[in-house]
Amino acid sequence: MTRWITMLILCGVILVGCGEKAYHPREINSETDVCKVCNMSIVHNEYAGQIVLKNGDYEIFDDIGCLMDYLKLNGDGEVGAAYIKNKATNQWMDVYKAIYVYNKNYWTPMNYGVIAFATKDEVQHWMNDEGEGQLLAYHELLTLNWGIHE
Amino acid sequence: MKQIVLFFLFFLFTSQTAYAEFDIQFAIDQAKAGDSIHIPAGRYQGNFIVKKPIKLYGQKGTELYAQNDEPVLKIEHATNVSIENLRITAKNKGIVANEMVNLELRAIELKDIQVGIHIQRSRHIRILENKIIGNYSHFAEKGNGIAVFKSEDVAIEHNTIKQVQDGIYVEEVKRVDVQRNKVTNSRYGTHFMYSNGVKVLFNTYLQNVTGLMVMMTTNLEISSNTISTHNGFNSYGLMMYDTQEAMVRKNSFLHNRVGVALQKSSVIQIQENRFQMNQTALEGTKVDERSTIMENQFTGNILTARSDNQGLRLMHNFYDDYTGLDVAGDGFGDVPYVAVSSFGQWMVRQPVYQFFVASPSVVILTSLDQQINNTERNLLVDSEPKLMSNMKKTELSLNSKQLVIGLVVTICSLWLWRRGTRV
Repeated sequence: MTRWITMLILCGVILVGCGEKAYHPREINSETDVCKVCNMSIVHNEYAGQIVLKNGDYEIFDDIGCLMDYLKLNGDGEVGAAYIKNKATNQWMDVYKAIYVYNKNYWTPMNYGVIAFATKDEVQHWMNDEGEGQLLAYHELLTLNWGIHE
Repeated sequence: MKQIVLFFLFFLFTSQTAYAEFDIQFAIDQAKAGDSIHIPAGRYQGNFIVKKPIKLYGQKGTELYAQNDEPVLKIEHATNVSIENLRITAKNKGIVANEMVNLELRAIELKDIQVGIHIQRSRHIRILENKIIGNYSHFAEKGNGIAVFKSEDVAIEHNTIKQVQDGIYVEEVKRVDVQRNKVTNSRYGTHFMYSNGVKVLFNTYLQNVTGLMVMMTTNLEISSNTISTHNGFNSYGLMMYDTQEAMVRKNSFLHNRVGVALQKSSVIQIQENRFQMNQTALEGTKVDERSTIMENQFTGNILTARSDNQGLRLMHNFYDDYTGLDVAGDGFGDVPYVAVSSFGQWMVRQPVYQFFVASPSVVILTSLDQQINNTERNLLVDSEPKLMSNMKKTELSLNSKQLVIGLVVTICSLWLWRRGTRV
């Protein structure tokens, strides 16, 4: 009987070990969090991004442009998960699944003009108020000419 | 008792009196180009709009306020507008100016506001001698003292700003002079983004998160400022990110977590500054070879400099912890000063290590570094460290009046003493 219980515990431990590690976003603390790339403190939470590294560390960004800069420099090999704030709801969402809209006149903390949303309805609602923008998927951010545009 | 109550009520009502008979908006609407409007003392509620070239003057005690979220004063699509001597209180923005040419805002006091003065798409703007005080909430929950966007030829001078997000925020502005302002207890004293042709002279930045934050800006002169007591977890005296062509000269960086930090910057000249009592005086990452740190004075800092493997070019600086000699007598040390510190390099990568600064183990490590790194010749090395500081020499001079008084007192004392001993 004792042998069976030991076997069960061992199997349980092995199964937990084999399970996929979950990477959850954490809340921003404006007092202490600064952008990993540009050093600006995070005061406009609705534009913030974060990367959860596989070792459990968090890298915080004030703007999707800085997050993309980090990925460009470091690659995504150590990235467990990446999140960006939904401008419409201020909720975290997966960077890779978000819908982006770009217009050089949209204000963002680094003035890159790219804003993230979860649904097309939210994008449309935003564009009705703030002006038309160019819809982008994550893979298009990789080749976007980041920076302010005259 | 009744008389006492009436006495106090009298003062209560007289202090709240507003000159309701003077309609500011009506006066503005009726004014012709170039007219001056003098607003009598009193409290005026409303959201006022100026769209023509006029001058608005308040008297002592003239106050405009708004109880909604709209700006108290909007100035737009006009030239030659001048606003002077007002007090403004607002829930949200105090003054908003849009597409203006020749605007002067002078001696305006803005209190308990979310955003003080907001200017956009304008030219020839002068913001002078204003006093802006934000509320007591966290800096993440409030706006900027003075914010200027997409404008040209802006002068921001002699303003006093406290308790806001960024004291002075400048974005996409060409030619801006920020002079003799004082910003305290805010996030950034002054924050530049994407600007060109910037002068920052004779300002005082005190107890903010960071004194001066410069990002993606070119062609700067930062001179004769006092930048002190920025010592929070992420604080800097001056932080330059992605900045090109800057002269940082004759400033005082005192009691900051990091005096000056350069990141991804090029052609930066840091000359004749005073770095005193900072945790780290100088920090550099990705700084190009054309940037130099020359003829500065480093005294009482825990760590003089730290950098990534690109290093920083140190030349002819004075270091109080330099132990070399000047046998040649040319005023420069005979052996190079090496600022490399293993612990300093670790702090660049992990700022949280700052909590171990000056701990016994770090002190031993730094001492070992100084012995071992004497062979270092490339990174954070000043091959000609200055031995004399830039302190002024005082000539020996005699004050004849004081000398005579001193002699008389001494002689009298001696005489009294001798007289005392005879008796």
